[in-house]
Amino acid sequence: MWTYILRRLAYNVPVYLSILLLVMLALRVRDPVFGRLPKNATNEDITLKRHELGIDRPFIVQFAVQLKQVATFTFDEESWDYTGQSVGEVLKRCIGPSLAITVPSLILTSLFSITVALISAWFRGRTLDQALVFVAVLGMSVSFLVYIILGQYFCAYRLNQWLGYDVFAIYYDPEVSNAGWVEFMTSVWPKYYLLPVMISVIVAMGYDTRFYRAVMVEESARDYIVTATAKGASRSRIMFIHMLKNAMIQIITRIVITIPFLITGSFLLESYFGIPGMGNQLIVAVESGDFPIVQSFTAVFAAVYIASNLLTDVLYALVDPRVRLS
Amino acid sequence: MTKASSDSRALRKFLRHKPAVVASLVIAVYAVIAILLLCTNMITLDDTLQRVGPETIPGFGTLQKPEKRHEDAEWLIDRIDTLSGRSDPQAAFDSFQDLGVRRIAKLPLEELQARVESAWQTYDQLAELEDLTAAANGALNVPGGATVLADLEKLEGSVEGLLEPMTAKEKSTRWLELLFGTDRQGRSIFYRSIYSIRVAVLVGLITGLLSVTIGTIAGLLSGYFGGWVDHLITWLYSTFASIPNIVLLILLAFMFDGGHIDEPLNRWTNGLLRRLIGGRLDETLIPVYIAFTATFWIGPCRVIRGETMKIRELEYVQAATVMGFGRTRILLRHILPNITYLMLINFSLLFIGAIKSEVILSFLGLGVKKGPSWGIMISQSKIEVVNGFFWQIGTATALMFFLVLAFNVLSDALQDVLDPKHV
Repeated sequence: MWTYILRRLAYNVPVYLSILLLVMLALRVRDPVFGRLPKNATNEDITLKRHELGIDRPFIVQFAVQLKQVATFTFDEESWDYTGQSVGEVLKRCIGPSLAITVPSLILTSLFSITVALISAWFRGRTLDQALVFVAVLGMSVSFLVYIILGQYFCAYRLNQWLGYDVFAIYYDPEVSNAGWVEFMTSVWPKYYLLPVMISVIVAMGYDTRFYRAVMVEESARDYIVTATAKGASRSRIMFIHMLKNAMIQIITRIVITIPFLITGSFLLESYFGIPGMGNQLIVAVESGDFPIVQSFTAVFAAVYIASNLLTDVLYALVDPRVRLS
Repeated sequence: MTKASSDSRALRKFLRHKPAVVASLVIAVYAVIAILLLCTNMITLDDTLQRVGPETIPGFGTLQKPEKRHEDAEWLIDRIDTLSGRSDPQAAFDSFQDLGVRRIAKLPLEELQARVESAWQTYDQLAELEDLTAAANGALNVPGGATVLADLEKLEGSVEGLLEPMTAKEKSTRWLELLFGTDRQGRSIFYRSIYSIRVAVLVGLITGLLSVTIGTIAGLLSGYFGGWVDHLITWLYSTFASIPNIVLLILLAFMFDGGHIDEPLNRWTNGLLRRLIGGRLDETLIPVYIAFTATFWIGPCRVIRGETMKIRELEYVQAATVMGFGRTRILLRHILPNITYLMLINFSLLFIGAIKSEVILSFLGLGVKKGPSWGIMISQSKIEVVNGFFWQIGTATALMFFLVLAFNVLSDALQDVLDPKHV
């Protein structure tokens, strides 16, 4: 297995290098200097600024510097937007708020949708199943933005008006970023993060429920189910012990594959609720041309993405003895 | 012959699936509207940008709060009053287009000014009341409170008197203009939302076709030939898949925005690009197509690569190889027909993806630049929603909902009919 992992890692080196290269090249289509200088800047100013930002070096040198940062895992290059802060600090600051939305919503979505999928599979082909599938499709046909806008209006704005105090905040308050751990869990999270989490659960439910239902239905047609039925196992035993266990392989795969997306956060939710997470920061960084942040962020994401893909395959082999890694 | 009979069997099975037939009809209606919009001047871009009346009027002629009716009347009287004070009032009247098809009454200037004056009087009378809505509901026992509703109608009557009476055709156009109300800038929500069908169908169709074509070619080659071709293509899609979608989209938005890509392209090709598209790239939908295709081709490519690898090992393909058929013939005649169902299903799924992601692109500033789209309408309606006005978000969502729902139902039906092994 170790040779497999090593070979896969080696295989992913060119992929990883080309990601870094692609992002760096794409960023350099536009000159970042002009946004950072007054309109009447002289040529001398421009040359100085270029030197200060380090983009007057040959591209290969810039690429090597970035590569060194990734290889040593020290993102100490200074951010262009936040003077005095290293890229690592900015990333560290933003990752918390993103995880505060994505982790709870991944857990809740998975729990809810697996439950609903089990119910649906239990009543397969009957009215309840058809109704659940139909609701899932209905939910999938509405734009994400509509959920956010209406959620903000009804659950934050109107509810607060009606109750007379702020249950959910419509917009993030930067002051609460300094809250301690206990205070964060008891008052900050429910007020600022719970509503975005609920919205993202509702949006993701449709897709996940349909996927998990399909997995269960597929499993229920397998031979081992027939064997179990012939042995006289009860229906609930078949569903929860035999079927769920085998369906777990695909369920785990789907959950592991979403792990990299936990750190990118949901940029739509973050920007509509003003939460200072990774997605939000990334849009700001690309728009203002803060190259170090965009480059390092993509590098981190791609690394996590490749690692979790590898992890999925290894888990597969561990869980399912029929799968051989080659 | 066998192929024809299997086709008709799939078709029969499809026709038995009632929701799928309804969904196809819905899609056909959208397609017809899109074709009409593309080929005729049914609704032009200018129509969607043109003011047709006061801001945030609700649709279906719903009656509004007395306060709003009062304000709307004020807006129009004020406009006409200002125009009649111009040095050449007649020319100003003729160029007045803020009420859609409606025109200012063709009366002598003095007559019109007298009517404006009398409208102002009714207006002032009502303006004296502190709380118009409450007064109209009879809550405030103010002098004149009982006649508030009658006065409002009188005000609206005198406003009507300032305008040219409508012909029957104009009446129906006017009805359409105000069918779903107006947005915050007084533009017709009906025109904007219907015109957006064009954008949605264009984006869905072109990105769907492009991604499926590229994905199919790449997947077929990689699955059939294996070796270095496979390595190259796997490397390519792993690279694109490992960059988060949104980073890729924002990066492309960043590259295309402000014509930064156009400059070098035009320089190298001697202005070919400018001549081809008649302007800058970021004014067209081309960046949207590129952005979506860059991320969407991966899905079909993966699936088709896997399927091709499976089919390549089947006996009939090996028999064809033994019989000495060329690779091209085997690929096109023996493998391609067996993956067309995957192309169809993927196209349907990508169509949905494109329409729904257009919202996100518009949010990032990469999407449609000129004119409306459902994404733009939804993100613009945020401020209206705060004020309790739901007509714009409702119309855009509803139109998008039916199209996406139809495609969702269709994709499911296609799965059922064409790929019975898959559940």
